[in-house]
Amino acid sequence: MKSGKAGLALMPPAAWIDVAGTSVELLRMGQGRPLLFLHGMDGLEGSLDVIRSLSQQFQVFAPSHPGFGASELPASFDTVDDIAYLYLDLLETLALDDVLVVGMSFGGWIAAEMLIKNRTGISQLVLGAPLGLRTSDRRRQDMTDIFMLPAQAADRLLQVTPLTDINPAQVEDDRLRRLLRNREAVSLFGWSPYLNDPKLRQRLHRIGVPTLVIWGADDSLIPPTYGEDYARTIPDARLETIAACGHRIAIDQPEQLVRLIIGFSSKTRTTEADHARVAV
Amino acid sequence: MRVWQFSEQAYTPAWSLPGSMGVTLASNHCDPVQAGALLNRYLDEYMLADELGLNIMVNEHHATASCMSSSCMTTLAILARQTKKARLLALGIPLANRSDPLRVAEEIAIVDAISGGRLEAGLVKGASYEVFMSNKHPTRFMDRFWEAHDLIVAALSNTGENFAWDGEYFHYRTVSIWPRAIQSPHPPIWMTASGPGSAKVHAQYDYNCATFLSGTVARSVFDGYRESYMSAHGRLPSEDKLGYLAVVCVAGSRNEAYRRATKMKGYFDTSMRLDPQFRTPPGFASVEESLRAAKAGRNAGWLKMRNGQPLPSDATVEQYMDTGLMFVGTPDDVYDQLRQFYSDVGGFGNLLMMGQAGTLDHAETTDSLTLFAREVLPRLRELSLDNCQPLDRRQDALSGAAWERIA
Repeated sequence: MKSGKAGLALMPPAAWIDVAGTSVELLRMGQGRPLLFLHGMDGLEGSLDVIRSLSQQFQVFAPSHPGFGASELPASFDTVDDIAYLYLDLLETLALDDVLVVGMSFGGWIAAEMLIKNRTGISQLVLGAPLGLRTSDRRRQDMTDIFMLPAQAADRLLQVTPLTDINPAQVEDDRLRRLLRNREAVSLFGWSPYLNDPKLRQRLHRIGVPTLVIWGADDSLIPPTYGEDYARTIPDARLETIAACGHRIAIDQPEQLVRLIIGFSSKTRTTEADHARVAV
Repeated sequence: MRVWQFSEQAYTPAWSLPGSMGVTLASNHCDPVQAGALLNRYLDEYMLADELGLNIMVNEHHATASCMSSSCMTTLAILARQTKKARLLALGIPLANRSDPLRVAEEIAIVDAISGGRLEAGLVKGASYEVFMSNKHPTRFMDRFWEAHDLIVAALSNTGENFAWDGEYFHYRTVSIWPRAIQSPHPPIWMTASGPGSAKVHAQYDYNCATFLSGTVARSVFDGYRESYMSAHGRLPSEDKLGYLAVVCVAGSRNEAYRRATKMKGYFDTSMRLDPQFRTPPGFASVEESLRAAKAGRNAGWLKMRNGQPLPSDATVEQYMDTGLMFVGTPDDVYDQLRQFYSDVGGFGNLLMMGQAGTLDHAETTDSLTLFAREVLPRLRELSLDNCQPLDRRQDALSGAAWERIA
């Protein structure tokens, strides 16, 4: 089901978890293999349909990043590194194993920053149109500067699904507050350097788990060539491109996204099982 | 009351271009020879202000045709040398946009030294859209501002050994200001407020507090300041702690004043011309402030006319006068309007007078400033809350309706 104004979707009740002193809003849904879902710039609301579908097969853990949704923003946090370390702590706190990490857009950047530090407990990675790599070189800019656009135009740029025009004056305070917190957090973590970590590329070789990179063919924020770049730089990675899909893959093609994640998850696990048999 | 001449030093030839007047306006629309001529003209008018017994205020903006002064300290460095008596107010230096606050302290000190101790230093948050040029983070902007402020004040007032600074945002091995500022412990510091909240902070610091083009909101700013000053210092502040900025236009006749005011109104019309996203970089305003703004809707201006209606974005001269943003007329008219406003807001000691704005030309500016200095200034100097009651009946004749008849 597609939703026009994803950032304002109604949130299901979330739990709260204390991670190394930071209070994190956490959606927990479903049973099965653990899946850590890291949302994009549009918050958990932008991925709710996908989270629900994935919970049919997985035990999904979907936190709101610090400063997003209702999660606390510690005063000392100002880089994606800070979030990555927090989520490594989260995995330790939850004592999870064989985790599939799925990160969309901004969340994909967080996922990459986690994996270059430590892959304990993590066995697979899915990156959906991840931010994080440098997309400019002096006067060349391959990534549209969303901060230079009116909010509506930025929304339109990010998805191919038509937007429903919503009058913010008629949205309940709490939902609007979450939307505004998301925007502020994107600005805090991504104003400059613009939504990237100049050091990330030279560290991507440390991502030591099978990785699937997914890109929307019609991504107007970052061209799919950056997906190729990601897939080339991570040792065990491949790229899937989805047609009729913009940057917000979870909004534009939720079923395809879920199908790719499930396919990747089962395929690699079969391969691992095969390896195990050979070893025996 | 002290009066400060102020001009945004606009590049008016670009005003006929369509679209935004800032951030995205290409600089190839600026003819540097024409710009240089205009800047020299504005400097001449500042020098005239000095001769006329007015003080001087300079501001700065970036990437815009509405204000060519891209560094107030550069302009003041010239005026420090070329003027004789005027106090020189930088209002202000947008601290959090600066990469190097120690350099700000150095510029303050050198201008104070050259001017013989006439500098007044305004330290401001600045306009939201400036972060697009400085590329400083809009989030935690005021944390950055206050650290820069603390460092600048420490650097200027230091009479001991050099010191090191290791802050959250700024790091220096050794802080040592050469030359030092003449005024001790540092030149008077000004800040700006558009509501009582920040005015209260300025009062606690004993800094001067100015409010710009805020109409009747100035009352709440000044009240907030006075209240906070009383509780922090145990006495009421002197009036010269408070300033109000408005457009002032004087002429020999009301018709001529109105004609000039229409040219000056171009300042308001062009400053409105900015794409909305540049007014609201995410994080510059707090989430709760943004929430209130979103709830209030696009058309809810913060300025109200006397009838309670919001000031429209395409307001007339009469409406700007009605709101307390423009003071226009013969010397008697302008004095009466200012006295009324002064009384309405509970008194203030500094009129930051936009005596040149928009396309008001040199001859008109010279005439208006001269007339003001000769006819209005001496009366304003005597103005006090004790002598401005009861209200003069002439106020009624200067209502918006009266002005419509003249027009």
